[in-house]
Amino acid sequence: MIRLRELSFSYNGAEKPALNNINLTIEDGQFVLVSGASGGGKSTLCRCFNGLVPHFYGGTISGQAEVQGMDILTTPPKELATKVGMVFQDPENQLVTSDVEREIAFGLENLGYPKNLIARRIEEALDTAGIAQLRFARNNELSGGEKQKVAIASVLALHPEILVLDEPTSELDPQSAEEVLRLLERLNDELGLTVILIEQRLDRVVHLVDRLLVMGGGEIIADGTPREVMNGDSEGLGIGLPPVIRLMRQLEGKDLALNGLPLTVKDARLQLQKALKNVKPTEFADAGANLKPVLNAEKLWFSYGERAVLRNINLDIGRGGFIGIMGRNASGKTTLVKQFNGLLKPTRGKVRLEGVDTRKSTAADLSRRVGYVFQNPNDHLFADSVEDEIAFSLRNRGAEENEITKAVEGMLNEFELTRYRKSYPRNLSGGEKQRVALASVLVAEPEVIVLDEPTRGMDYVLKKKLINYLDDYRRRGNTVIMVSHDVETIAECAERVVLLSEGRVVVEGSKREVLAKALLFSPQINRLAQALSGYGVADTTLTLSEMLEQIG
Amino acid sequence: MPELSYRDKDTVIHALSPLVKLAWGGGLVVLSLIFNHPVYILILFLSIIPLVWLAGVGREWASTLKFTLWLGLSIIVINALFSYHGDHVLLTAPFRLPAVGQPVITLEAIAFGAVMALKLAVIISVFTLINLTVHPDDIMAVLLKMRLPYKSVLVTSLSTRFVPCFVEDIGRISDGYRTRGVQLDAGGWFKKLKNRAKMTLALLSNSLDRAVQVAEAMEARAFGSGQKRVFYKEINISKIDAMTLGVGLLPLAAGITVRVMGYGDYQYYPELASIGGGTIEWVMAAAMILLLVFIVPLAFIKRRVELD
Repeated sequence: MIRLRELSFSYNGAEKPALNNINLTIEDGQFVLVSGASGGGKSTLCRCFNGLVPHFYGGTISGQAEVQGMDILTTPPKELATKVGMVFQDPENQLVTSDVEREIAFGLENLGYPKNLIARRIEEALDTAGIAQLRFARNNELSGGEKQKVAIASVLALHPEILVLDEPTSELDPQSAEEVLRLLERLNDELGLTVILIEQRLDRVVHLVDRLLVMGGGEIIADGTPREVMNGDSEGLGIGLPPVIRLMRQLEGKDLALNGLPLTVKDARLQLQKALKNVKPTEFADAGANLKPVLNAEKLWFSYGERAVLRNINLDIGRGGFIGIMGRNASGKTTLVKQFNGLLKPTRGKVRLEGVDTRKSTAADLSRRVGYVFQNPNDHLFADSVEDEIAFSLRNRGAEENEITKAVEGMLNEFELTRYRKSYPRNLSGGEKQRVALASVLVAEPEVIVLDEPTRGMDYVLKKKLINYLDDYRRRGNTVIMVSHDVETIAECAERVVLLSEGRVVVEGSKREVLAKALLFSPQINRLAQALSGYGVADTTLTLSEMLEQIG
Repeated sequence: MPELSYRDKDTVIHALSPLVKLAWGGGLVVLSLIFNHPVYILILFLSIIPLVWLAGVGREWASTLKFTLWLGLSIIVINALFSYHGDHVLLTAPFRLPAVGQPVITLEAIAFGAVMALKLAVIISVFTLINLTVHPDDIMAVLLKMRLPYKSVLVTSLSTRFVPCFVEDIGRISDGYRTRGVQLDAGGWFKKLKNRAKMTLALLSNSLDRAVQVAEAMEARAFGSGQKRVFYKEINISKIDAMTLGVGLLPLAAGITVRVMGYGDYQYYPELASIGGGTIEWVMAAAMILLLVFIVPLAFIKRRVELD
């Protein structure tokens, strides 16, 4: 059991406490989801459970904290390792050795367990995590999902009673994320392990958990079963309700006999099948077709050494369009978009920006017209202050100082960064850094903007603002290209979608052609619409507003 | 430069104890440094080939040789251009340089450069073979067997593991600059250096972030728990390993003896000495060949003993 009483914690030098007067009890065997806005204290809270806060991070702590009968304030993490296992966000930076078997043995070796016990625990952990076939694999050859499973196996080997995971799926593609979440469900169901999971994407997990905690401003601002929390006033919580739940909440008060909030598409389907009446048959038009191409790839091949990563890509990207690029990890998405701004040049074939071969220009020259926002905001940040960071591109191209000041002020306001203008960008939180990175590229108003996984780990409020901004940016005649695993976001804002697999374009078309009626790359609302097509709902429905148009 | 990470293969060379391979490879590196005679250096180089072939890493080795060839050629050219010793002048420059005089290219300088390049090829080939056939964690286990402190060995191992991440960081941060309009490769060397220097802080910051994350993950898995650490996969030295280790060290011991006896040296300047030494010199060279390749039949014997 975890019991926190009036627990407060401040990092050294911080103005505000990261945790403020937390009172929390978590019973053994619960599956708890922790969500909330960026910087709300989720990670700090979870690092209390295994003593990383305060012992690893320092800072000031007060109150009481007890985990499985041990006082956190006086027990260091190494002594809590057999009670609380922790899996972190970045699969790369938590693996210490170079192969799977040694990785699982690492914690057991540290505890000085006899070799025969280590051998037994390795077997158990491999089987429990379902990765026995990876036993002798090298860590650097594993996919992101496999690495996370190895990380989970390496803490399971220590036989913890509580498993804490800090956004373990944020860097994974939907399939890998699904596999990791299934594993967690099984560990909780079958082994009775207490699982505490930090996650922004509620639609992935909300049906698996017993309890939902929402953190904001260092406090627990909501606590209850997922239905209780999502039934209440969820507007100020900073969490994104799954689309089916938003749909059902919108339908409340209508003349439909609904019975509580559904947590899954199946729940929603069963309820709506009984209650649906007066469906208005609607045809949805596709947008974004027949636009004049701004970017064009012709017979594009690209190889790293002998390994072909892009294979014969033919693609036109229309000016003023919003294009989503999707596909599994390592399907070639990032390699493809790096061709658009000249960071990579074709091994064979051509990429043209308004008819001009990108091979004739450097990436630095093309950056005036094609902006690029990387997955990791740290790759953008090198100035001494946020305002210098945003001004960098304009200054670099010799813009007038009054023009720079005006543009920087606009971006600081747009991305709510005014109060950080003098801060060192790399000292900001993940969400804040992401905003600085976006502002630093968008300030130059490139006619094409490429965003590589911009919503990864982003909280709901921020995501919504970004989508609105990009939509507005596109309406001003610019082109937006977004690489993303986030099907819901792509369904909401893209017009056309390109689906890549093994370096080839598998499907390219309007978002409806690609995302509707798909098995995996389809949004929740479409999965519901497919099931309700027999009742007159268009099976090409993709978004909440489209669904409401028909049944609201 | 090709990627030289460990390749897991079922070969007699992979099956050899890492300690043996490190002793043999270390011996070869030392010998390539202490011998100067081109025949001995050539023997050292040729003795690597059977092991490369048996380990099934010929293609990777050939790739490193291509890289070494360019490096070797530049050594020969630079030595020929800047070393004016030697009596056999092949080319004389039609001008004089201050403090240096009239540049000349001599046969001796070219020969000396060629042997230096061959020495480099021996060293790079040994590192290639070791990298491709010894698991990095086994190198760590060998160092622990040699009773080096665990924490130091772990730090070294982690640093090696994160070198590819560091290289990726450099690529990503350079890309970050390029996408913001910075011409990293434009201008003179000073401007290029200045542009690259800007990246240092970002690189350092990324590395520190990574170090904190790794430390956190280790702490959460009981690193430094105070218990006496157990090593699940220790390197055990069987009798046959001890024997092969002895054989692996023999070339080093014999080579040092040969050098102490005054053989294996060679005069390049002012003019090249005769390649052919006396009978004893050739007997010594032949003995070196035998000692260097004796590890091959022993590797097969070890495999046979283990299978039995």
